[in-house]
Amino acid sequence: MTDAVVIVLREVLEAMLLICMLMATSTAMGYRFRWMLGGLALGVGGATLYALGLEQISMAFEGFGQEYVNSALLVGIAVLLATHNFLAVFQLRNPSVMLAYRTLMLTFVVMVAMAITREGAEIYLYAYSYGVLAGNITAVFSGGVIGLGIGLSVGTFFYYGLRSLARRPRLIVCCGVSLVLGASMMGQASVYLSQADVLPYQEPLWDSSGLFEESSLMGELLRATLGYEAQPTLNQVSLYLSSVIVSILAMLAAWRLHRLPEPARGGE
Amino acid sequence: MKEILTPCPHLHRRWRSVLLFLLWSIAPWSHAQTPVFEIEIREHLFFPAELVIPANQKVKLIIYNRDDTPEEFESYELNREKVIVGNSQGVVFIGPLKPGEYPFFGEFNMKTALGKIIAE
Repeated sequence: MTDAVVIVLREVLEAMLLICMLMATSTAMGYRFRWMLGGLALGVGGATLYALGLEQISMAFEGFGQEYVNSALLVGIAVLLATHNFLAVFQLRNPSVMLAYRTLMLTFVVMVAMAITREGAEIYLYAYSYGVLAGNITAVFSGGVIGLGIGLSVGTFFYYGLRSLARRPRLIVCCGVSLVLGASMMGQASVYLSQADVLPYQEPLWDSSGLFEESSLMGELLRATLGYEAQPTLNQVSLYLSSVIVSILAMLAAWRLHRLPEPARGGE
Repeated sequence: MKEILTPCPHLHRRWRSVLLFLLWSIAPWSHAQTPVFEIEIREHLFFPAELVIPANQKVKLIIYNRDDTPEEFESYELNREKVIVGNSQGVVFIGPLKPGEYPFFGEFNMKTALGKIIAE
């Protein structure tokens, strides 16, 4: 049962932080959580399809289909997180302008769906074969529920922490969280790409496992939030930093957009 | 006929050279000489549990999962993670590693599915 707790918690944590950050952004922008239903539904559907097709996907691309799909999902989420930052800063700069609702919702829905697809597929495979097929439903599912529960508690805590801020600082903090999450995703993508030998092998730049063991609770938490890696390579660090830079550039661009004449708006 | 297929021959040529350039730049990484090593998963255990590979050399590791259940091959030290569904196989590239021991485990059976790679 403890296996199930740990497996589910590890998978859930990152998606949970992403969703809670998006919830806080929505409230700061004055939108409701309509995107969540679509994101969750598409995510569960995507995770099921990914899990069912995993054998075929793994065999594709000379046995590295899984790595390609995972890194594509991670890069996709990172790009959308930078889009989120662009939109959030635009809103900060132009509080009176309502953002294009559809663009915003689409960004959020796709982001949530991609995150759940990646994380959910693993949970689906585990729960189905070790729970349902192995006739071990009670242990696996109660463990899974506990893992999910811990994840939800962390998420709730995080969300209400963000909610306690006033709207503007909340949006700013959300941009910071999004920047770090995006960088963490790019760091993970680089690991998949080096596993598939797309990125060349490199020696680790440093080893901080003496400080925080990656397998420890603290290490896992840092991994989910900051993309912590005890022995990162130059590829990983440079993709991490490039994501930070892209996100900052997106925010700068949104900030500068203020100087452009405002688009004509209908009568208010 | 060729003209019909490529309505814009200049663009076509440019893309072809871009593609050739990409292939050329990837080529040195895809060595055909990479040694291959194999590990089997049976009854949620790794065989061999200790695999000796040459140090300072890139290695292709094929993991055969002989169980009906999926397993995730994972290692913090090697920085690898890959799900292998039941009765299937997975490939990962590892190294070149410095001499030493690199533990790995099966995430779905964390307590029993343990092993290590020894680079020497």
